[in-house]
Amino acid sequence: MKHTAPTTTLESRTLWHNIVSTIIILAIATILAFSFFHITQSDPANIALIYILALIIIARITTGYFFGIISAFFCVIFINWCFTYPYFKVSFAISGYPVTFVFLLTISMIVSTLTTRLKKQDKMILDRERAINEADKERIRANLLRAISHDLRTPLTSIIGSSDSFTENYAALSDQEKLDLVSSINEDSHWLLNMVENLLSITRIQGDTGRVRKEDELVEEVVSEAITRIKKRIPDIEIHVTAPDNILIIPMDPLLIEQVLMNLIENAFVHSETNRPVELQISEESDTLTFHVIDYGKGIDEQTIPLILKGEYHVPKTSDTHRGMGIGLSICNTIVQAHGGQISAHNHAHGAEFLFTLPKGDI
Amino acid sequence: MIDSYSILIIEDEKNILDFMARTLRSNGYKTITSETGQSGLSIINSQCPDLILLDLGLPDMDGNDIISSVRKWTSCPIIVISARAGEQDKVAALDLGADDYITKPFGTSELLARIRTSLRHSNRMASNSPLFIRPYKCQGLMLDFEKRMVTLDGKEIHLTPVEYKIVAYLSKNSGKVMTYASVMENVWGPFTDSNNRILRVNMANIRRKIERNPSQPQFLFTEVGVGYRMCEDENEM
Repeated sequence: MKHTAPTTTLESRTLWHNIVSTIIILAIATILAFSFFHITQSDPANIALIYILALIIIARITTGYFFGIISAFFCVIFINWCFTYPYFKVSFAISGYPVTFVFLLTISMIVSTLTTRLKKQDKMILDRERAINEADKERIRANLLRAISHDLRTPLTSIIGSSDSFTENYAALSDQEKLDLVSSINEDSHWLLNMVENLLSITRIQGDTGRVRKEDELVEEVVSEAITRIKKRIPDIEIHVTAPDNILIIPMDPLLIEQVLMNLIENAFVHSETNRPVELQISEESDTLTFHVIDYGKGIDEQTIPLILKGEYHVPKTSDTHRGMGIGLSICNTIVQAHGGQISAHNHAHGAEFLFTLPKGDI
Repeated sequence: MIDSYSILIIEDEKNILDFMARTLRSNGYKTITSETGQSGLSIINSQCPDLILLDLGLPDMDGNDIISSVRKWTSCPIIVISARAGEQDKVAALDLGADDYITKPFGTSELLARIRTSLRHSNRMASNSPLFIRPYKCQGLMLDFEKRMVTLDGKEIHLTPVEYKIVAYLSKNSGKVMTYASVMENVWGPFTDSNNRILRVNMANIRRKIERNPSQPQFLFTEVGVGYRMCEDENEM
């Protein structure tokens, strides 16, 4: 029910569009024909050519056969009426005139048929592309959901298990054991919170356009808040920041970029398996800003990184399920792309480097 | 403790309400609880608690309505409890007169620290003590309100008049988050532009002068999308 009204207005709009453009093109052709006729005083053959051109254009830009055929009738009669002797009289007695009539009509019909078919094919191609895109998005979403459910289940299992054993074996447990159980519950719930915040951040990206609401933000404020929050969660992490001295203000969604920085820094800390400080370097190019997160650890598998960023990487069954690095990174990728930036990763001589760019101006 | 502070908690989630009440009681506060905004308002009117913890997402009424109706007649500190994503809600609540906010989920130490800060500020307002003109001190940073002078580790720091105004305003309210709008209004007057870019640029310059490491600040903290919080005054710890 809801859709009826917009469709009719749309149809009436195309109808009007067709009528108006037909009339305009015919008028232009007529003006041209008249001036041509008066200046050169030539025979009506050239005038017919002008009208043929007009017919082709009309058939191309209007929808369906109707307007082409109507215009063809108009042209034939108009040429007869204006440009052939006797002037301003319709006469079918001129020699060869029925031939002109048939030709014009046939041309117009053929062109209309061809262009209509062309338009149909264009539309089909567009539809098919859209369907493929949709399926692609659906697949990525399904992948993400599968990975998330898997990752969420692990800490939940541990939380449920620990709390069950706490309540059921309360009397039998030593104080130390109780403390251990509760702190493992605490640790796992923090991990869950981190995951949930990551997922929530994706909802800030507008679904259909894939864009974010940007505001001018001071880069150092976003960086410092990200560091403060990460230090709250991992107190012994050490982070060295180097940034240009000038004041950098660029458009972004600060909470999302904060999330990206936190994910990358935390990844660097957890997966590098080293105690050496993580480095955050910010460099300025002519129209972008690049954030480098560098660690001095065991490096990364460069083959899998593009897959992880795209969210297509499936954790091998043997690897430890902790710490689903996959989701965090694919979320980073989504966020950076929504900002019009690029994210990539590679190994340097002593470890791994993740970097992402953000455009300085609004795009 | 005979004269312990009474704290009203308005929160509709039973589990969270119980957890907060238990924590506060074991730290020596008296607690009153309410699961709806309506009953919360009538408790405020009848019992005048020393502090209110208010969840913004109540089922029966808008948390902001509670803030504005409470602010009509009392300056009793209000700490808003809100979800992470809604910076707009936090700013709105703060600008309506809430004293501070805390984001769900929070740890007990964070909750207790916020409560202590807010109670201290309300005491200072009530007693109008000379504390207010005592210099602000924190980890080597000192601000003398009488001489209008800022020093770091004994060395004087030269701030422009506007920069000084910002720092002075934040340090008078140290420990509490101040929204962009409130800083703008206090420094540039009530009719300033709503664009806070000028404030951001000034803050960046101040940080370069005051902070030992501007990207990991010790004194001036940013709460992205909300405002600024200055490190708590050591005199009051």
